[in-house]
Amino acid sequence: MTKKKRFGVSQALTRGLSEAINVVENNAAIYRNTVVPLSRIELDPDNPRKLTINLNDVRNGLKKEDPHYEKKAEELERLKELASTIESSGVINPIVAYKLGEFYRVVAGERRCLASILAKKNEIEARVFNEKPKGFGLKLVQWIENTAREDLTLDERIGNIRDLIREYQGERGEQGITATLLKHITSLSLPQATYYLSVLNAPDDLRKAIEHGQVRSLDKAAMIAGIDSDEVRREALTACINGSSLKELRKIIAREKLVSSQPKIMREKAKRGRVASRINMGSTANAKVVQAIVQSVLSHTNFNRYSEIFSQVAWDRYDHATRAFRKLVEILEQEMVR
Amino acid sequence: MKVIAFVNNKGGVGKTTCSKLMAEYLSKVKKIPTLGIDFDPQCNFSHQYLKMEIDPAAPEGLMPPIHPDYATDDPDHIDWDGRSSISEIFYGQGVVPYPTYLQHLDLAPGHAEKLLAAEAVRKSEVVDKVHKQLANFLNSEDVKAAYDAVVIDTAPSKGPLTVSVMKAATHIVIPSVMEEQPVQGIYGMLQLWMQESLAREKDRPLKLIGILPNMFKQTRLHKDILKCLQENPAISKYVLPVSLSQRIVFAEIDAEEANPRSIFDYSVSHVAKQEAEEVCAYITERIFS
Repeated sequence: MTKKKRFGVSQALTRGLSEAINVVENNAAIYRNTVVPLSRIELDPDNPRKLTINLNDVRNGLKKEDPHYEKKAEELERLKELASTIESSGVINPIVAYKLGEFYRVVAGERRCLASILAKKNEIEARVFNEKPKGFGLKLVQWIENTAREDLTLDERIGNIRDLIREYQGERGEQGITATLLKHITSLSLPQATYYLSVLNAPDDLRKAIEHGQVRSLDKAAMIAGIDSDEVRREALTACINGSSLKELRKIIAREKLVSSQPKIMREKAKRGRVASRINMGSTANAKVVQAIVQSVLSHTNFNRYSEIFSQVAWDRYDHATRAFRKLVEILEQEMVR
Repeated sequence: MKVIAFVNNKGGVGKTTCSKLMAEYLSKVKKIPTLGIDFDPQCNFSHQYLKMEIDPAAPEGLMPPIHPDYATDDPDHIDWDGRSSISEIFYGQGVVPYPTYLQHLDLAPGHAEKLLAAEAVRKSEVVDKVHKQLANFLNSEDVKAAYDAVVIDTAPSKGPLTVSVMKAATHIVIPSVMEEQPVQGIYGMLQLWMQESLAREKDRPLKLIGILPNMFKQTRLHKDILKCLQENPAISKYVLPVSLSQRIVFAEIDAEEANPRSIFDYSVSHVAKQEAEEVCAYITERIFS
């Protein structure tokens, strides 16, 4: 007996139908994609991006008597570049805003708004949230917006992360922020999250240097923040401000490690196995080290009479140097017994 | 004022029949002042209530007859040719709805050539010239004062006319035959619903009443496809629990000089009337409750 044929809707079509339904159910009434008049745009004074130029400057022009005239003029020039692309191609990504009374407060897209005004546009495409996003959501949007920006200073980035953590803790309760958690919140890589965390907890001198724009690299700041010794940190910080590379900073830190690791040699450690009855004198590939040790001992008045024994040693040969060192140890053992 | 549109970009799925049933149910059975709008250049919905005429300028299309209120000696009508269709909204002119044989139902008929012209507007101009116009018209105080319900029959397309309906509607119903191609039409409409929903203010959402299985036959094909939609967790919420069967009587009442003219004139025991009432009552309950 043949089986009855069954009919159905293709998998692709079923998926398409469900996806469209899910998009509406999950997103409608939360935000809407629309076009808003630029005359009703307001910038967010709490946005961690500290753009000096404001709506008034763009609408009415800069004033020479403005104390921030020079910085604003620089920003205006950069905005003009963006404005020319907006004039020719429009704004590619809509801004993100929320309704605040009669105005739309910008969550992300300040520069696009200002540049659109410069480009003589009247409206701008926007994703408008129906309500003010909650603290953490708002900061997260601003972080996502800012993170792709090359002209954002390290201080602004750190400020953004700090706000993000504060809002996160405010919403989810005080809890320790680990690099893994920060990675989860921000989608940063784990090393980047680790760097940000160490810079957030940096000592005052480093923080001030970042604030003043003297330290601009996250990698360098994180490296300096990790130095335990105040003295070495100050040295590294000064070197960084003077333009030292990461490699040069690493050298300074390596020196610190050498110094700080010395007492560790003397530390008592629980040992397993047989009790040691001999001292291992170590080994080196540098024969001059052996020559230096031998000559140092021989220069002592108690030992200079043995100089003749070592007069024929070819110090550049490992076998000669090894035999010479063994001889020296032998002499010393004899002298110490006396 | 509730604005109900029957949409599906696949033709022949019963949009006009559903629009007709709904307009008649609201006006005749529920006595709700209703405006029917024909947004389909084929003008079949208009032809149900008016003697549409062949347009001499475009012989393949129909145009509305002379309006009964038109008087050649009325000085107010000097600039009016006596005909009025819903497509006047695209030309900045007023729309004068026609009365129908039903007391509470007026009709803004289609005009084939003018609707086709609106559908063909260039992409750069379409937003201002087409998309917003129907919503502007329905938001006018005159329309809101005159009607409590608007029923729109739409063109089988995803073009500017249907987008315009999506922007103006408060509720949409997607009638579909349970076959592969009409179900693809559902997808097209869900895409427009999605775009419009994401562009709407929170306080005026575009509600999808659901997918109405139409012209349903007790065949394996129809039953299997309906079951397939009902078994999908996301889609099943939008498959209406009522349906309209394939019945010759729905075609018979469409015929000129048909008697009775409305399915709701049939006897209470008539199975087609019972089915139509069940469907319309369900949709009305969802919209007006």
